[in-house]
Amino acid sequence: MIAQPLDRQLPYGVADLFFNDAARKRAVERTLAETFARWGYAEIIPPMFEYYESLAAEAGPQLREEMYRFFDRDGRTLALRADFTIPTARIVGTKLFDRAMPLRFFYIGSAFRYEEPQAGVRREFTQAGIELIGANTADADAEAIALAMTALRALGLDDFRFTLGNAAYLQATLRDLGLSDADEVALRDAIRRKNTPELARLLAALNLAAEPASALARLPELWGGTEALARAVCVNAEARAAVAHLRAVMARLAQFGLEKFVTLDLAENRGMAYYTGVLFEGFVQGLGFAVASGGRYDNLIAHFGANVPAVGFAIGVERVMLARKANATIAPAVIAQTYSAQVEAARAQGRVIEVDILNRGEAALREYAHIRGAREIWWRDGRVEKL
Amino acid sequence: MTLTLTLSLKRRGNKLPRPNGERVGVRGIGVEMNELTIALAKGRLLAPSLEIFEALGYDVREVRASRKLVVESGDVRFLIAKPMDVPIYVEHGAADVGIVGQDALRESGVNVYEPLVLGYGACRLVVAGKPALRDAEWRLLAGLRVASKYPRCTQKYFSARGLSAEVITLYGSIELAPMVHLADLIVDVVDTGRTLRENGLVELDEVFKSQAALIVNRASHTLRASEIRGLVEKINGTQTNADERR
Repeated sequence: MIAQPLDRQLPYGVADLFFNDAARKRAVERTLAETFARWGYAEIIPPMFEYYESLAAEAGPQLREEMYRFFDRDGRTLALRADFTIPTARIVGTKLFDRAMPLRFFYIGSAFRYEEPQAGVRREFTQAGIELIGANTADADAEAIALAMTALRALGLDDFRFTLGNAAYLQATLRDLGLSDADEVALRDAIRRKNTPELARLLAALNLAAEPASALARLPELWGGTEALARAVCVNAEARAAVAHLRAVMARLAQFGLEKFVTLDLAENRGMAYYTGVLFEGFVQGLGFAVASGGRYDNLIAHFGANVPAVGFAIGVERVMLARKANATIAPAVIAQTYSAQVEAARAQGRVIEVDILNRGEAALREYAHIRGAREIWWRDGRVEKL
Repeated sequence: MTLTLTLSLKRRGNKLPRPNGERVGVRGIGVEMNELTIALAKGRLLAPSLEIFEALGYDVREVRASRKLVVESGDVRFLIAKPMDVPIYVEHGAADVGIVGQDALRESGVNVYEPLVLGYGACRLVVAGKPALRDAEWRLLAGLRVASKYPRCTQKYFSARGLSAEVITLYGSIELAPMVHLADLIVDVVDTGRTLRENGLVELDEVFKSQAALIVNRASHTLRASEIRGLVEKINGTQTNADERR
């Protein structure tokens, strides 16, 4: 095989966007920015790269591994942002910790992860999300989830369902068991995959006390409506509090009329390593992977100096584009054969007018207008031709 | 009857193609998906998998008789796919559930739920090599070369033991590799071990045991919760009955 020159290729996991795809992406971003702003969220724009040490804070081994790292001229390690939550936590922890709480931020932009090919995964991807900082109440969690749902609705993705779990429940259940790291990883993995047979095998080998063993064994089945919470075995006060908190969040969501879109799932323990409380994922009809995901991270900002609780979520803009009907277009309303006062006036009113600059003949201009999807041609002599 | 592919051909009456035309996805948007889609692995798992659905009252004769890749039966639709592809269909949501060997599942590294194992299709993924290696410290060999159809599992096995093996990916007849000095070791599935023996190889270590498993797409698990729960419970029921008969 002859080696292909690299100068015309793209690396794996990035994309060129143009024409309608670029328009659709910007339309999605605009809709999300407007929705977040209406709920009182202000934009935050962290840098595209910063010190690896900042971004690696509480990131967990997997996310650290996936970061794009490079050196500046002083030999210090830099990294491209792999999400917006960690940079936002740094900004709040170092600069905004003494402001009136809560702080409400939204962000939209590219994040970068060196990820293996997997469903719905790219290496440069666009996240649009929010961080609600300075509250650890059920109301805060419910607001984040309700806003995620509202955002999907604003995008026309009405047929959604969210899973909702609480990382604190499994943490509390595993806390006093004295498990080795390897055993805990294996247990969490089996629980995450709802792999009941593997979980039973692991538990049999571990020789745990009856109560925690039964609490863990039934986890793969603990999903559904609020009735699923009643089946949870709570081995300590923290586990009970974790379950009670989910009840409280569901009660708040009921006030929004949104609880029917939630599947509770106590086995959920995926997502970011820094999650400490509720975690949720949004799914829409026709897409096999989550379009939104988020959770509570009460210890992350403390890493940067101030102990401030927070919750947030991100929506995958490319995933939205996969799931959503196309309704953005770059087609101009009018192709004008030449500049005129009329063109200026129409543009001032917000109509999209494209002017011919190639001196095309009548037939050629008509064909071009068809290709561009224009509705009208304005000829030099003042004729208006509807297409 | 549902369509899996729609093409929007209505374009305000113009006949010229647009350079910026919209892409149309399979299992697309605006397409009502009514049937539960079940991906089944071709090969030795197919017959026992079909028996499960037959026991649940589905008509699977067309799957057995024809070479069709998509067969509708009642309220479900079967996709017949290569074992290694079944996890991919399910992870992307092209199928809601699937039945596949755990060997293919581990190798694919997909993010799906695995609520049931089904008891059939038992096999083991093992490290094998020439008998001389049995007593030798093959872990100490420098420049270890390992041939496998399971490059991901192989890499993981050796990395976890701090060994830097060069993994050579082959697509069949892995046993050939040590005989022609392409590799020192192989990692492959064995059923009875006969193929290994006949090619003068011995098992050195077991990587994992495998059997058929039911896997579920994570989006379908919540978007079609009641259907999936019903199906998992029914299949679990057939398994319990099968255990009782044994």
